[in-house]
Amino acid sequence: MSDADAVEEGRPSRPALPSPPAVTRTRLLLAPLVLFDLLAFVVPMGYLLRVSLSERSTGQALVRGTWSVDGYRFLLESSLLRRVFVFTVLFAVVATLLAVGLGTAYAYAAWRASGAVRTVLLAGIVMSMFTTLVVKLFAALVVFSPSGVVNDALVASGLVGTPLRLINNKIGLVIGQLYVVLPYMVLSVYSVLTSLDEHLVEAANDLGATPARAAREVVLPHAVPGMAVGGVIAFAWSAGAFAAPALLGSASELTVAVEVQNRLTSFEYPVAAALSVVLTVVVLVVLAAGLYGLRRRGGGNDV
Amino acid sequence: MSDSTPRTDGGTETGTGKAPAAGRRLVGGAAVGRWLFRAGVGAVFAFLLAPIAVVVATSFAETGSLTFPPKGLSLQWYGEFLGSSRWRRAALNSLIAAGGTTVLATVAGTTAALGVSDLGGSREAAVLGLAVLPLLVPGVVLGSSLLVFLGEFDLQQTYTAVVAAHSLWATPLAFSVVRAALSRFDPRLREAALDLGASPFRAFFEVVAPNIRSGLFAAALIAFVVSLQEFIMTLFVSGPDTRTVPVLAWNSLRGSLDPLVSVVSTLLVAAVVVAVAVGAAVAGLERLATDT
Repeated sequence: MSDADAVEEGRPSRPALPSPPAVTRTRLLLAPLVLFDLLAFVVPMGYLLRVSLSERSTGQALVRGTWSVDGYRFLLESSLLRRVFVFTVLFAVVATLLAVGLGTAYAYAAWRASGAVRTVLLAGIVMSMFTTLVVKLFAALVVFSPSGVVNDALVASGLVGTPLRLINNKIGLVIGQLYVVLPYMVLSVYSVLTSLDEHLVEAANDLGATPARAAREVVLPHAVPGMAVGGVIAFAWSAGAFAAPALLGSASELTVAVEVQNRLTSFEYPVAAALSVVLTVVVLVVLAAGLYGLRRRGGGNDV
Repeated sequence: MSDSTPRTDGGTETGTGKAPAAGRRLVGGAAVGRWLFRAGVGAVFAFLLAPIAVVVATSFAETGSLTFPPKGLSLQWYGEFLGSSRWRRAALNSLIAAGGTTVLATVAGTTAALGVSDLGGSREAAVLGLAVLPLLVPGVVLGSSLLVFLGEFDLQQTYTAVVAAHSLWATPLAFSVVRAALSRFDPRLREAALDLGASPFRAFFEVVAPNIRSGLFAAALIAFVVSLQEFIMTLFVSGPDTRTVPVLAWNSLRGSLDPLVSVVSTLLVAAVVVAVAVGAAVAGLERLATDT
């Protein structure tokens, strides 16, 4: 540190090009993050890739030093795992579409609101985003279970004769996942809308547009980058969904992430690792495609 | 028609009650649509938050069954929570993990945010990508990679493993929050301090840090909250001695709907309410909502 200090103190004026001490400073400043990401992210992920290329064995979790593509071949050949993959992608698409629709409407409402209402709508979203997933899913379980608040109210009001099945099935899965992705979706649309002048909507109204038309033709085009970023993230998180399927789904709603844990706990490391690798590749390809599309559209400056 | 349309049309405080009857009939279809839209947004708000309110209410129940509204009020489940060594241990583990994560994520995120803008070009993009990438990889994948890798060094189930896992998500968030704060800071102030003979350390602590104070605070707060709520990776890398509150809650949930989970949920929600309130007071709700 001391030599860098001395040089920096002694320099007469700011050089136009990065001087050696400036380069040292940049390197030192970046070292903690780069080192941490290498040790806790890049190397472990590389190791996972290596494990996915090991021989499968029934006796032990991992046969070190072996090379084989059996893990991946098993993924291709197992009809169960193929079904799990297809189900996961369909589920992620449904959850994403719902999140984009509901999240955009909510963000628009928060943006149009003023004063206390805006504060309440925003605080509610920030609260929900920062609340532990376990708590949100537990709460959903309590509220949507056959003897929960929602069904009690529905039966008491005579709208339904018998309690609806809202958990331990596909509906429960989507309900649970919305708690994961909706808050982020709202915030990513909202943050884009904050840069739009509200008077534009008033101008559209004054020119005779209905509120719905003003929202569709003035606000929506501006919201698209936020919807795209939020949607791509929602898809990534839903494709990797673990908690909602495990708690609010049933055995027939297996997602890839749940299957990874199943294989890990039964010590099938190569298969679990291969599943993880394929899942990560799918998620990253969708992310990259989404961001690329956004950039080509010219709206991806806030990513 | 344009004249009779209230200026705050589509806002929340439309004075439809005061609008002339003729005007209301003209915009009748739009008004119905507007109320439907508001009801929908209200439903989403209730969908997100009402369950949490229900859980908080059930934590004060007298009986062991999770019914709403609870029959009779008592603090007996809170007493049970405090008397349980398993839950006390988990609470301590959560605080240790959150403390470690806050320090690691804030330091690594802040230093990187300070250094990255000097790189420029493709190297800056590469560091940005590396910093953000862990946020986009599914938690189960990160958790299993850490479990399998750290298992080689017998480091799984240690605090190191838990802090490393939490920091994978906390660091990128701290990084982007500090970067957003730095973008509002005039770098010439720092250069002036250096030109006047301040060491880089002194320039940071006396010129840069005070100017981005709320950003640094928000970064630390977000790292703390992320650690407090993370559980998927923790599920993989923690053990009986290091598992955090959400992991123990998850394990209890797999068995039955335990009223103790309501208590724990209430405490976690209270912690988040306090954190969000403090963060909103220091950094402003708008920035908390848009910077992360």
